[in-house]
Amino acid sequence: MIAFKVNGRTVEVDAEPDTPLLWVLRDYLNLTGTKFGCGVAACGACTVHLDAAAVRSCVLPVSACAGRSVTTIEGLAGDGARHPLQQAWIDRQVPQCGYCQSGMLMAAAALLRANPNPSDSDIASGITNICRCGTYGRIRAAIRDAARARGARS
Amino acid sequence: MAKYGIGQAITRREDQRLLFGTGQYVDDVAAAGETFVAFVRSPHARARIVSIDSDEARAMPGVLGVFTGADLQADGVNPIPISTPLKRADGKPMVAPPNNALAIGEAMYVGEAVAAVVAQTRAQAEDAAEKVMVEYEEQPAVVTLEAAMKPDAPQLWADAPGNIAAQTRFGDAKACDAAFARAKHVAKVQFHNQRLVPVSMEPRGSIGEFDAKSGRMILRTSCQNPAGLQGTLADAVFKVPKEKVRVLVGDVGGGFGMKTQLYPEDIVCLYAARKLGKPVHWRASRAEEFLAGNHGRDQTDRAELALDAEGKILGLRVEITGNIGAHASGPGAVIVVAVGPKVITGVYHIPALDLRATAVLTNTNVVGAYRGAGRPEAIYLIERLMDQAAYEMKLDPAELRRRNFIQPQQMPYTTPMGEKFDSGNFPHMLDRILKHADWKGCDARKKESQKRGRLRGRAISTFLEWTGVVHEETIDLHVEADGRVKIFTAMQAMGQGIETSYVQIVSETLGIDAEQIDIVQGDSDIAQGIGSMGSRSLYIGGSAMMTASNDAIEKGKELASSALEASSGDIGYKDGRFTVAGTDLGIGLFELGAKPPERRTAIKSTQKAGGHTWPVSCHVFEVEVDPETGVTQIVKYTTVDDVGRVINPLIVAGQVHGGIAQAAGQALMENTQYDAESGQLITGSLLDYCIPRADDLPNFDTFTDETTPCKINPLGAKGVGELGTVGGTPTIINALIDALRPLGVHHIEMPATPERVWRAISQAKAA
Repeated sequence: MIAFKVNGRTVEVDAEPDTPLLWVLRDYLNLTGTKFGCGVAACGACTVHLDAAAVRSCVLPVSACAGRSVTTIEGLAGDGARHPLQQAWIDRQVPQCGYCQSGMLMAAAALLRANPNPSDSDIASGITNICRCGTYGRIRAAIRDAARARGARS
Repeated sequence: MAKYGIGQAITRREDQRLLFGTGQYVDDVAAAGETFVAFVRSPHARARIVSIDSDEARAMPGVLGVFTGADLQADGVNPIPISTPLKRADGKPMVAPPNNALAIGEAMYVGEAVAAVVAQTRAQAEDAAEKVMVEYEEQPAVVTLEAAMKPDAPQLWADAPGNIAAQTRFGDAKACDAAFARAKHVAKVQFHNQRLVPVSMEPRGSIGEFDAKSGRMILRTSCQNPAGLQGTLADAVFKVPKEKVRVLVGDVGGGFGMKTQLYPEDIVCLYAARKLGKPVHWRASRAEEFLAGNHGRDQTDRAELALDAEGKILGLRVEITGNIGAHASGPGAVIVVAVGPKVITGVYHIPALDLRATAVLTNTNVVGAYRGAGRPEAIYLIERLMDQAAYEMKLDPAELRRRNFIQPQQMPYTTPMGEKFDSGNFPHMLDRILKHADWKGCDARKKESQKRGRLRGRAISTFLEWTGVVHEETIDLHVEADGRVKIFTAMQAMGQGIETSYVQIVSETLGIDAEQIDIVQGDSDIAQGIGSMGSRSLYIGGSAMMTASNDAIEKGKELASSALEASSGDIGYKDGRFTVAGTDLGIGLFELGAKPPERRTAIKSTQKAGGHTWPVSCHVFEVEVDPETGVTQIVKYTTVDDVGRVINPLIVAGQVHGGIAQAAGQALMENTQYDAESGQLITGSLLDYCIPRADDLPNFDTFTDETTPCKINPLGAKGVGELGTVGGTPTIINALIDALRPLGVHHIEMPATPERVWRAISQAKAA
């Protein structure tokens, strides 16, 4: 049994220790918002937070999560209805097929935590996830919007 | 009341689920009691299957069954059919090795499925698949176009001599010869459109189920055309009545044309589900997507353009050779020999054409539709030729284009391909793009770049593309007693925001709140039609939405006339209410809809359009090259797009952005590489196959032009999904060549990677 927190709730899973966190989330915990894209940490569709950092859950063994805290897209908004990034994503009409966007949002949230006011080039180098629909321009704009909204609030 | 009319920049309703992790893509669904399938795939480009020993695999924990092509054949499962009626040069029908769901007798490419293992868990299935012992006898394979077309090349299929699956000839060779004989200048190009992997971020996947009571097979999958897959499964593969097959589709994580096909894995899931009486679930690994999801492009083209002394085009000769892989069951051949050629003369008046196109079989994965499907290759060809001619004749590339445009007064215009353009104002589009892109200001920017040691290049493309496939779509519209309008359609959302665009059209036409409208799709039981492909969702599907809404009003007027005891000629309709002229009598749309015993008024409406649509676009692109490293940077990208009537400008811009992104991928980084000898796929993962990321692409300036709406569908829409992809590759490569011409580089193959650019510069310096 491996115990850790997911979106604030403590879970115990009976999985092989080397099972990638992605499959524990999807197959054991039925949290299907986190997506499989490549299995080799190249595309970022599976991005979640381990404590405060963005990690690619398709290559992260679940044993590495023991005693730690995982946040997925289902928990991104916390107690609120929408995270500022989710609102910005809607306002800027970022998504097309939407499949990569869970990972994009999680990567963006971690970026903003580390760098509350990123420049376009900070975003370009910080967001290495793939969006095949090519929504990068709107992703940049939405991250800047969310940064501004947070700045105005604090 | 929130009415969302046509042309408004409203936000998409799809996002409410897609951004919160509550979308339902195929692998987010689990069927009760499901089992899992893993495939054994050929490690050889071509090999005779001598024997398959599955004893050890069957004895593995959790294994429920191991299946081979012979098992499927014995149970009456047929190959995926060749559905396109193409011909070879000798007049015989197109032929190719049969595409069995599991190979029978011979495996024809690396990655072709040879056996399937079903087990209680995915891990068990994958482990047992490794224990299936297949004895192969390797056969001589042909991997590249060049190898396949050699006179003594090994033949994939006896009835396809020369490895030619299909061939077409268009135009008038004699007239074209005469045009070249009197030409003052002839420009020539020859190049390769490399093979691409579509890489939808959602890999393919399927769940097969069998309902023993009804004898129905149910396929849950990720595809663009549920009714189309149902038809192929029922009519051709299982040969059962259509109602015995149901295809269900949820959210689709990118299609790009790749998800228009029935795949072997879909068939195996259904077959095994029927055989075992349990749901069978498959999820492609990314490696399986690279090996066995349809690829795109892979054409070698040669062309020459005859011009007079003033730069007026006299004739065009084209030789297209396309690699369609090992089977002809998909649209690979038709893309090469029929679809691409439709736009080969672009937006230009070209009096004489001589075109030959050949679809060639090789021992590689099947090539099918990928965003643009033939049109990017054709427009790449004509736009590269135009730039080459302009350079050689010392003309401004924009001016050469202007001199050769089909003029608005020539519409409707019939091309030498026999295609009819209904609308388009190309000179007007050129005027707009030159202004928006600050064409004249580029010289100053070139000088500024030079100061920083960078080479700036610039290019323009003026082009159109063909959309359509089939110009008919039927939808059902129900006005329900509970105050909702439900619309059932075979069109399929896959990221193009079509649900929202449809709601806008219906909301405006019926004058009702968008919240009262449901668009129901993704189920072959609820709607029959062609589905979403070839940028047809809006021009034909959207037109159907408008027509069905108008039909609902007309039928409502009849019903209202009896309900209100007035002549139907006196009944008016506005904002969800029928009224009698000159009185205060009236009845609401939904109140009226509830009158029939079934508590709804049902409209079935078939929309026909008068032909293909021809979206028009101009791209201008500026690039900066670092001559020391060969690194190319996209610095300025402008488009003006005539997509006909715009339903939602935000969605249109997003589609153009995405199209350019995929074109930039082809132009600068993507390449599918098979080892020419062994036929092994070398670029089989996202670590080897390079796709544009955030730092590769700038923001794009895109503008729409609605001055020439489509004349042959009621909506006036032309389509947009593929437009950016079609024009992106020639614009990027022509700009790159423009930057490099001063160094003596006049040609570069795609993808123009930094290495390729650097080598081209070095070779030019050495020469």
